Amino acid sequence: MSSKRKKFSLLLASLMALTLLVSACGGKNASNNAAGDGKGEKPVELIWYTIGTPQKDTDKVMEEVNKYTKEKINATVKMKQIDFGDYNQKMQVMAASGEPMDILFTSSWAFDYVQNARKGAFMELDDLLKTHGQGIVEALDPAFLEGSKVDGHNYAIPANKELPAQEVWRFNKELADKYNLDISSVRSMESLEPLLKTIKENEPGITPYAMVKDFVPLMPFDYIIEKLPMAVRIDTTDYKVINMLETQEAKDALKTVHEYYKAGYISPEVATTSSVDDLYKSGKWFMDRASTQPFAENLWSASYGYPVVSTPAGDPYIYNWSVMGSMQAISANSKYPEKAMEFLNLLNTDPVLRNMIDSGIEGVHYEKVGDNVMKNLDESKNYDMPTFSLGNLMITYLNEGDPENKWDEFKKFNESGINAPLLGFNFDSSKVTTELAAVQNVKEEYWSALMTGTVNPDEYLPKAIEKFKAAGIDKIIEEAQKQIDEWRASTGK
Amino acid sequence: MKMVGEFFRNIFKNRMMLLMVLPGALWFLFFSYLPMLGTVIAFKEYRFDRDGFWASIVNSKWVGWQNFKFLFSTNDAFIITRNTLLYNIVFIFLGLVFSVLLAVILSEITNKRLSKIYQTGMFLPYFLSWVIVGYFTFSFLSSDRGLLNGLFNSLGIPPVQWYSESKYWPLILVLVYLWKAVGYNSVVYLASIMGIDRSLYEAAMIDGASKIQQIRAITLPLLKPIITIMTLLAIGKIFYADFGLFYQVPRNSGTLYGVTNVIDTYVYRGLKTTGEIGMSAAAGLYQSVVGFTLVMASNYIVRKYDKDNALF
Repeated sequence: MSSKRKKFSLLLASLMALTLLVSACGGKNASNNAAGDGKGEKPVELIWYTIGTPQKDTDKVMEEVNKYTKEKINATVKMKQIDFGDYNQKMQVMAASGEPMDILFTSSWAFDYVQNARKGAFMELDDLLKTHGQGIVEALDPAFLEGSKVDGHNYAIPANKELPAQEVWRFNKELADKYNLDISSVRSMESLEPLLKTIKENEPGITPYAMVKDFVPLMPFDYIIEKLPMAVRIDTTDYKVINMLETQEAKDALKTVHEYYKAGYISPEVATTSSVDDLYKSGKWFMDRASTQPFAENLWSASYGYPVVSTPAGDPYIYNWSVMGSMQAISANSKYPEKAMEFLNLLNTDPVLRNMIDSGIEGVHYEKVGDNVMKNLDESKNYDMPTFSLGNLMITYLNEGDPENKWDEFKKFNESGINAPLLGFNFDSSKVTTELAAVQNVKEEYWSALMTGTVNPDEYLPKAIEKFKAAGIDKIIEEAQKQIDEWRASTGK
Repeated sequence: MKMVGEFFRNIFKNRMMLLMVLPGALWFLFFSYLPMLGTVIAFKEYRFDRDGFWASIVNSKWVGWQNFKFLFSTNDAFIITRNTLLYNIVFIFLGLVFSVLLAVILSEITNKRLSKIYQTGMFLPYFLSWVIVGYFTFSFLSSDRGLLNGLFNSLGIPPVQWYSESKYWPLILVLVYLWKAVGYNSVVYLASIMGIDRSLYEAAMIDGASKIQQIRAITLPLLKPIITIMTLLAIGKIFYADFGLFYQVPRNSGTLYGVTNVIDTYVYRGLKTTGEIGMSAAAGLYQSVVGFTLVMASNYIVRKYDKDNALF
């Protein structure tokens, strides 16, 4: 080997070593140095993780947002979006590894609020709300802050939106009209039978009931943990925790679904179907069930491109999970908690900031066609944000065609809500993690198949109950009962 | 002192070699050895600390073997261990047989062009993600629109609800695995067949050996070291199931769990909602320790019978 070549390969080898070092250590510190010293002169940069499909124009919009916030509270924000499907897992890893962040989205259904508050992922906000967040306290329906307390403390700011959850049956109006079906007489699952039958017999290409694997029949229970069978009855007075699979109601409901499955009203593939978007797009479905909010029919019709009508399937109940449907928390490792709270305060009270973050830059992504009415421009496809996840809904501009009284109707809807028995109670699962992991596995095995009617409940329900027992569900029920009794004693319920 | 001097002189003398090893060594240091310190998480109830990751580890409470309990708390423990081991044993055995067979056949194709085309064709599935493979199988097995049920229909055979009949799945999973993995593995064997001295075959031909005899007397014995190494490495992973295969391909269908639930899917399903890092770490540690023991044991056995082919 000539000495020149030798030198060259030496260089090459050291280069390789260097790249490796850099790539191994890089990325960790990148976001650290951007933040200022926090003394007030230099604007502070807040790192904000939120849920939603990352948008093309996010940085562009944030530039405008930062101009505004720098002026108002001397802080800038760096928004990082993580897609719906990834949010839970990515945030769990990032929170566990201590990734620098200030504000983050949390909820009952993605990056679980209660569990992560207990694990110490969020900063306790009681004092900060008093000192830097008075606007939030005034703007929000008090039920939100009250209902989202964990062990008596607030760890996140809920979005001001619809408070109760109400289930409705949705119908493809064209089909309902074609066969002159009276949807107003429908309420229970059983009462759907004649309608489904008509569609099944006359429309071979249509899926009568568009169902996905997450489907659970409406049953009169308030669950300790969503989608696990520990529950109390919705009209309970003694707060006795039961395994709802053992009740007559569950047996009857599952039987009905199974009959519908056998009759072909539901897709034979339902237990493995996670989305029926294709049916919605093509309009080849007749009915399904969904959570509603005021004027939801307009939203659905607009997004599908054909009329959708609905009728209630249950009463509006305020559950823990509906109160905690969308929240923004301050990370426990935030260096600037006061600034973060100031920002959240502004976000929930200032229509200019709220709408800028929601709809983008005026004149680019949207234009105003009235005092508080806006119209999306073509560019809005590059900045399409999930409105519900970004704070106070009731200061966002109305869309063209929205009724004038939209937010009043929301308030009325919120007032109509009935408190579910366990509202305000949050189960602490840390004593039963082993059992919970095992129960979770049993649930995965039987839940979808039973709830969607894919299997015969006469045969599989006893099997499931037995396996849940073997996995230790009774210990979880016992622990839940103990905590509920303590909670009742301390709150006087 | 002399020893130290010797040591540095040795380093200087071999600096070229050592530099070449450096990137790999650093890689292992950063991504394999350093993370091993995290094993302590398996024995802790992990709680976040506002001062970052290390503070979280240090300040979390020790809980002893608590985190390991969920792996063994139900009779599922038996099912997942059985499934993981049996599937992997079948995969290792059949994978080996088919890969070597394929490599031998490919090496005997004299038309180089055709041989390359076959090779690429069989290589391709390896690069597909399991999600896509899952949809491939779904297009065969879908109960109302699947190819197989369509075929059954035209033959007058009643359709099968593939995704709720667990008895077919061991076969389906093995077939899908082989389809995806065999092409890739055969390349390793093909490469070592290519490295065999051609003159051996020429000599055998002059002596009148048939193709089969040549394969049995020359190709296979010379492949033995690489077969041993590949198998030993595979045994080290015998407690790790291919998550995508067992989760995506059966479309996470609950009724199939009896034959599709393996350690990795069990851990995932148990912890995806609770996010207990301590318990995931415990499961990972358990798999590593068993894998390590198995590699050491099988290597010991190999060394006893055939010293040259052992890993170390």
